[in-house]
Amino acid sequence: MGVISTSSRGAEARPVMARVPVVKTAILGAVVLLLAMLVVQPFGWVVFNSFHDDATGAWTLNNYARVVQSADLIEPLVNSLLLATATAVIAVGIGVPLAWLVSRTDMPFRRSIRVLTLTAFVTPSFIGATGWILLAAPNSGWLNVLWRSLAGADGGTPLNIYSMAGAVFVCGIYTVPYSFTMVSSALDEMAVELEDAATTLGCGVLRTMLSITIPLAAPAVIASFILSFIQGLTLFGVPAFLLTPTGIPVVTTKLAEFYQLFPPEIYLAAAYCMPLLLVTGGLFWMRRRYLGRKQYVTISGKTRAGRQIRLGGWRWPALLFALLMPMTAVFLPYAALLLVSLTRAWGQGLSWENLSLYWYWWAIFGNSETHTAIVNSLVYSTLAATLCVALGTLVAYIVERRLMTGASLLGAVATVPIVIPGIVLSVGFFAAYTRAPFNLYGTPLLLIAAFAATFLPIAYSHGGSILKGIGPELERAARSLGAGEARTFLSITIPLMGGGLVSGWFLVFIPIIRELSVAVFLITPKTNVMTTLIYNAKDGGNYEAVCAMSVLLLLITLLLVAIARPLAGLTGARRTSRKTAEAAGVPS
Amino acid sequence: MTDITRRGLLKTGGLVGTALLSGGLAGTGFARLAAAQDDPLYAAARKEGALTLYWGSYEQQTMEAIRDAFKAKYPGIEVQLLRQASQTVYTRLRLELQNGVAECDSLGTTNLLHYTELKKIGALAAYDPPDAAMLPAAFKGLDKDAMYHVGAISLTSINYAPGKVSAPPTSWMALLEDQWKGKITTGSPAFSGDVASWVVAIRRKYGDDYLRRFGQQKPKVGQSNVDTVTDILAGERVVGSGAPFSYTLTQKAAGNPIDVSVPTDDAILNLGLTGIPAKAPHPNAARLFTNFLYSKEVSDILSRNFWPTLRTDVAWAEGRSLDQMKWFRNTGDDLAAEVAEGIAKWKELVR
Repeated sequence: MGVISTSSRGAEARPVMARVPVVKTAILGAVVLLLAMLVVQPFGWVVFNSFHDDATGAWTLNNYARVVQSADLIEPLVNSLLLATATAVIAVGIGVPLAWLVSRTDMPFRRSIRVLTLTAFVTPSFIGATGWILLAAPNSGWLNVLWRSLAGADGGTPLNIYSMAGAVFVCGIYTVPYSFTMVSSALDEMAVELEDAATTLGCGVLRTMLSITIPLAAPAVIASFILSFIQGLTLFGVPAFLLTPTGIPVVTTKLAEFYQLFPPEIYLAAAYCMPLLLVTGGLFWMRRRYLGRKQYVTISGKTRAGRQIRLGGWRWPALLFALLMPMTAVFLPYAALLLVSLTRAWGQGLSWENLSLYWYWWAIFGNSETHTAIVNSLVYSTLAATLCVALGTLVAYIVERRLMTGASLLGAVATVPIVIPGIVLSVGFFAAYTRAPFNLYGTPLLLIAAFAATFLPIAYSHGGSILKGIGPELERAARSLGAGEARTFLSITIPLMGGGLVSGWFLVFIPIIRELSVAVFLITPKTNVMTTLIYNAKDGGNYEAVCAMSVLLLLITLLLVAIARPLAGLTGARRTSRKTAEAAGVPS
Repeated sequence: MTDITRRGLLKTGGLVGTALLSGGLAGTGFARLAAAQDDPLYAAARKEGALTLYWGSYEQQTMEAIRDAFKAKYPGIEVQLLRQASQTVYTRLRLELQNGVAECDSLGTTNLLHYTELKKIGALAAYDPPDAAMLPAAFKGLDKDAMYHVGAISLTSINYAPGKVSAPPTSWMALLEDQWKGKITTGSPAFSGDVASWVVAIRRKYGDDYLRRFGQQKPKVGQSNVDTVTDILAGERVVGSGAPFSYTLTQKAAGNPIDVSVPTDDAILNLGLTGIPAKAPHPNAARLFTNFLYSKEVSDILSRNFWPTLRTDVAWAEGRSLDQMKWFRNTGDDLAAEVAEGIAKWKELVR
């Protein structure tokens, strides 16, 4: 893989300093302060807890000693690393080609694939796991039953979702949206001169993709690999549902056991998260080593044209591949969930008499808590996602343009929260935000802050990978015309980031709306959210209600996405490229 | 000081009892309301104006019904209900105590150890709910200092798919027969308090040999024991061990093909408890609610939702009662250690 650069090595991405930067200093100060409050303090509590004894509350190193020495605790770590690696490989292996097909080619139904990928993204992982249990449980799974009815009763059980392979599969398909969204927004914003050059020099479509397009999108690919890996490490629902029956422990199910014990081993749980931090820290370090010496600037002062690659005879096979993900992550499991949600008592099976909209009625009108929970979910997610993207983008800008000494430390801080599984982080937030001077307990602000902090790493990595593609020439031009740092950022950089910011907002908004474990100790009756209600229904075994509420959550989120989609088209960068494309006679 | 308050409260409680009784006799909502109005505890609770419940006993639906009945009977008190899993609720309360927050007025969880621990650190307030007099004798006066009381009675039994099983197993021992190999579903003691209770009880009864043979039956182990119902309804397995009695009956009543079989070698009984935190911000409302738990209204709600009632004069659903079945409850001072040992043995012998 070659080093690709459209600007010379000497032209460091660092705008020239000018004037006394009052606004800049104020903003830098605010960012540092926010990071300290939102991230450093809660994480500090997690670290502090990890050095204390659960029974006596005294200082101790014993928690760490137990983590290192006990085979009982090492096995889940190994399993988790395995699950996370496999998840990341699947997510990138499917997500990246999918993003290329959707962003760059004339494959049919590209827009539908985009929407369906978001649909998969909206699905809380425990819902996806539930759907797949209905489909692929060894005895009762509908796909297995179908197989046996075709192949005869001795057809065996081709699918067993209660296995490591099953868990990897479900984690993988529900993580594809991360890599897809990050890489496709990088590809959307990327200029095509280099690809054109490759084509001119006789490279085929595949070779151009592999040697030019994907390497140029490397920052996004790598960031999405790491995020997918972390996702595989920190997911609870899927391993809890699919691996508990096979007796394979992973870190998150082990953490749940610590909390289930009496007395709960909360401090041991905090120590148990630190190896995860170490591994993920290592990944980020490798990314820095790899990306640090190269440049990926493709958006510069030059014109861009959105050009589509013609797939010719490969259009339909490509669509078949692209449908793989929606099929496994959306159509099949939601068909199962929908059928269950439409029965009055699902154990009776499908029949006209058993068909009913009762559970939808119940979810919408029959339950006084649902209204508040839906409104809360939407309001908190919107505010938290906005705060998160604003802060994450600012931090990314500060880090990429090295606006202050120790900028990379800011970046490291912004990456920490997502690595800590939610149930442990929740305790950190509790300690950090409920004490004086904040006293946020019971207020919406507590949840908004916690959600924003938890998903800051996504906003930060996403912002960073877009910024890596934007050359500093235009920013310099603005600076030399007398604009300050803040004005340059607002009037040049932000519009250039354009649609990428909107997709980044969804990349944060959606995980927040479906998040469960971070909120577990933070919600109060007045600040209840939708996912806790769904989980309570699951806890109470009310599957028809779980399915109905999941379908509703999905519809609400899709509706929002549909409303917000035109926004992405309104941003400057997109409009320019589309206009240029139209001028060039290319259908967009 | 405490003594005076307590005596005063007991007297108040007595008044509530009399008021309720006369209200019940008069049989009209108005009379009942009028009686409630005269109750000094209600007056004090109304002055506080709010009540926050942290409850893990009973599922969301039953708990909401209890909350709504309380609101109907005692207007003017805003009730906030936090319904989460018992252990989550307890951990939350501990976090609040550590961080100097006091939000909870009434705690209701399924683990006795929560209360012995909270009592030890002086975090519970004493209260003698007068209406608890109607509790089954075995569950009266659990704590000599009246710091905690029975909040729920939960039974663990066997459940099965009637259409697929001609003769269900009638005892825990029968589950070890060859015919049930590969057909059993159960929860995990590491995730479910009820299954942990079951493991402790079964080890007391039959020793580790039972667990070894149970493991050889290749049961499917989910998390919660609610998963047994899911597996049976889905058709994944046909018999559930360590299964939830009340919840299975609820599903049966909803029209699902499932039923319970109460084991002849004892249903395992686990008590849900309730207590009032020492720093409860609305102590009078908390007392009013605690006493309300033992009212006929609540027991009627419990009966409708297939839970054992908290009064001897309110029958369970389907005419069942505690007297009709053999049951066993784990008692003792070292339950925490026994649970830990049971989980370890389970991991060694079952999976």
